[in-house]
Amino acid sequence: MEGILDSYMRFLATLTPAYFFELFWFYFVFEFIRYFFLEFIVLNLYKIKSWTQRDKKEDARRRLFLENPLVSILIPGKNEGKHLYKLANSLSEQTYKNIEIIVVDDGSDDETPIIGRSLEKAGLIDTFIRNELRGGKASAANCALRFAKGKYIIHLDADCSYDNDAMEKILIPFFMDNRVGGVGGNVSVRNYNESLVTTLQGIEYFNTITTGRTVTSYLGIYRIISGAFGAFRADVLDQLKGWDIGPGLDGDITVKIRKKGYKIAFAEDANCLTSVPNTFKKLIKQRLRWDKSLVRFRMRKHRDILIPNQSFKFSNFISAFENITYNVLLNFKWYVYLGIMLTYYRPLFLNIFITNILLYTTTNYVKFVVYSLYRPKAHVSMSYFLVYLPCMVLYYGMYLRAVRTVAYLQEFFFKKSYQDPWNPRKTSIHGEYLGI
Amino acid sequence: MKHFETHNYKSNFVLEQGQYSYVYIRNFEIPPLEEIADHDAVVIEVKNLDFVRLIVNAVRSNLDPDIYLTPIFLLKKDVLDDVPYIEELVDGSIKSLDDLGFVNKEIDKINIRKNSLNITSSVSFEAQVITKLIALMYVRELKVLNPIPDKYSNLYYSFPFMAINFEEKEEHLALKILNLAEEEGMLRSEYFDRVYLCSSCSGSHMSYREVCPKCSSSNTTPDDIIHHFPCGYVGPMKDFSNEIDDKLDCPKCNKRLRHIGVDYDKPSVIHHCNNCSHNFQDYNVNAKCMSCHTDRSVETLKAHDIKTYRLTKKGELAAIKGFTSTSKDIEDVVGTVKYDTFKTMLKYEIERLKQTLGDSNLCAIHIGNSSQVYSKLGSELQRGVFKDLVSVIRSNIRSSDVIAFWSSSTIVVSMNDIPHKIALRITGEMVELLSELIKSSFDDLEVNFETKTVALDYRKPHEMQLRELLAEFD
Ligand SMILES: [Zn+2]
Ligand SMILES: [Zn+2]
Ligand SMILES: [Zn+2]
Repeated sequence: MEGILDSYMRFLATLTPAYFFELFWFYFVFEFIRYFFLEFIVLNLYKIKSWTQRDKKEDARRRLFLENPLVSILIPGKNEGKHLYKLANSLSEQTYKNIEIIVVDDGSDDETPIIGRSLEKAGLIDTFIRNELRGGKASAANCALRFAKGKYIIHLDADCSYDNDAMEKILIPFFMDNRVGGVGGNVSVRNYNESLVTTLQGIEYFNTITTGRTVTSYLGIYRIISGAFGAFRADVLDQLKGWDIGPGLDGDITVKIRKKGYKIAFAEDANCLTSVPNTFKKLIKQRLRWDKSLVRFRMRKHRDILIPNQSFKFSNFISAFENITYNVLLNFKWYVYLGIMLTYYRPLFLNIFITNILLYTTTNYVKFVVYSLYRPKAHVSMSYFLVYLPCMVLYYGMYLRAVRTVAYLQEFFFKKSYQDPWNPRKTSIHGEYLGI
Repeated sequence: MKHFETHNYKSNFVLEQGQYSYVYIRNFEIPPLEEIADHDAVVIEVKNLDFVRLIVNAVRSNLDPDIYLTPIFLLKKDVLDDVPYIEELVDGSIKSLDDLGFVNKEIDKINIRKNSLNITSSVSFEAQVITKLIALMYVRELKVLNPIPDKYSNLYYSFPFMAINFEEKEEHLALKILNLAEEEGMLRSEYFDRVYLCSSCSGSHMSYREVCPKCSSSNTTPDDIIHHFPCGYVGPMKDFSNEIDDKLDCPKCNKRLRHIGVDYDKPSVIHHCNNCSHNFQDYNVNAKCMSCHTDRSVETLKAHDIKTYRLTKKGELAAIKGFTSTSKDIEDVVGTVKYDTFKTMLKYEIERLKQTLGDSNLCAIHIGNSSQVYSKLGSELQRGVFKDLVSVIRSNIRSSDVIAFWSSSTIVVSMNDIPHKIALRITGEMVELLSELIKSSFDDLEVNFETKTVALDYRKPHEMQLRELLAEFD
């Protein structure tokens, strides 16, 4: 142990800036510049912009309540009955009142039909549609959409919970810019203190959603409106005739709205809490699905975005390009880095490894503390997470990277997503055939 | 003509055979009903069932026991379907007049039982209907009163022996009276079926419709929901129909739907309200009453249990002794309290006596020949007599004392805080006054008043003292 420390001290002494870059280019180019430096600048710009636009926002809010449009809240899902009462009840507490709630039961095999029906009778739900045959998430959402009468559509997940001003906040961006076709809400982890894996996801959501989406939204390349909390203009969804087969239908519909020429906004202050997988095993399952859909939708279904033609739009291109670069390419580039280090710097490998861990961990701490200052309001005290931050290197750098790699390979070579039981076989067979 | 050898037509309607005489009804001719009382039985020739029903109804609904209790037989020369309603009201049928001999035994039996009855006139309509019912059941040895499915009845079921007393619209009152008779202990019931009636008018002719849960309109259209697998579109079938042919085309991806289960399916059905455009799967069911036009949810319909009834021992006794009034009738008499209330007050009086050791009394006044008396009085008069009796008693006791009917022939009176001797004297005076009252009101009515007056004993429970007081009047 002492030997290792000794050798490491000697290693540090040899580091010149040029040598440092030679050994840690991966961290420097990808992690530091993209995920720290750039984000930090954008966050500041964002803060300035929201300060200068605060009157405009207040005006938008006033116009929302003046017009008071009917808003349809769609809650599609399977076996979600146990969450429905709580959700419907909390929706009745929302500051925005002119809502209709449409629940679609996608072939549940539990008490959902009974619960939904009785809530409909009690007037807590406006329309409850029970589909005996499961059709998958997209079909359930489309079914709800077909019978929605609102001018705006909000898509929710039954197992999430929402701040009582969340509906109001997610609608405001439509009134700030009439080119906005869809708005994503801010999703945080509710069960962050349930286990280590949920705590780590809590930090991850804070980085990738709260901070990440604020940044991408500012840059105009925000690309996924979460299914857990998203708002849409009804006329835009009508043009698209709703969602296509998933998985990854959230990202898909966002791309389709972009392609129609509408903007996508992120409502950082529209808060939604979701429960995340509480074991590493369950998390793997979820992430494999998400990561596969990235390949499937970005690189297969919507690859036309990357090709210059009449409908080409620069921001759409950047959005897809950034996504592919920083997720797919980078993922494989990391293996290149690992290979180079193992091949050419083998004697130093342990020291390089330690340094990388220290670099990432330090960055994580700085980011976390600094970005917390930019966070509008928090459901959790940030200090809770501080002790867990060192684990993020392994969680992010190893665990999620490994999952992602498997997912990409499965999807590239075997189109595994079409076999996902998340969709009924009767629908995914068509998705596979059509290559979507 | 064989008939003329054995039967003797006394008049157009009367037929005699041996010692029996029958009222013989045929050819749509209706005899004067009061004649029936002088004969042993009625025979109706069955040609037209409506006519038979009319006659049977007329006989059984008559108020004179000598008429409504008369045995009725049907003469069926041809094979005819039984009409359960009519069969229930008659005592049998024969194929030809030659068979009359076979039913004479039945006629004897009925008439013997009929003569053992002591029919009294009743205070109320309810008591009257109950009297008729238990008399008919007793005389005909009818063990069970069965409800008969009847599409003409407002209740879907008829109790012919009850229905004869009611207009079609008021048949639900029959159920009320049957329940009353059960409460009085005359009948014992068993569940048979349940019917649902209009909550406003008790009508049963309902039109049931699926209606919109939001606006209750019945103007709704159901449609299959279709899910097109390739594109995930979901909507009602009308979204998929085109103007050219009857094939279905997807509005989202324009593909033609080919094969259910392969490229599309129908996960559910949805209803669209054409009045308020609400979409729903769970419609309400409303019942529109065709009598009073109210249109309400079926949940508001009133459930009525239809039961079968048996005559109890008490019912048989009441049939024989005569049934004058229901407990409801005697509770309604001004100046009296309910018997239950009387018992409670008595209990408190005994409690009080334990503290004060005073003298209080309990008195019973009983009409010994009540069935005789009541059969001579009409129901209106009878009610009047009840009232008069009570007002005479009231004027002889203190205002704090109470009066209650124990039965239609026995009145109980409390006489608190007076010595027993004085109580006895007051009782004697009351009976004299009562007898005078009857004498001055009715010429040839003999009423036997019997009385018993006891001093209250605070060491004995109130119920025991009442039992002892009333034992001899039961
Ligand atoms: Zn309606
Ligand atoms: Zn289609
Ligand atoms: Zn009615």
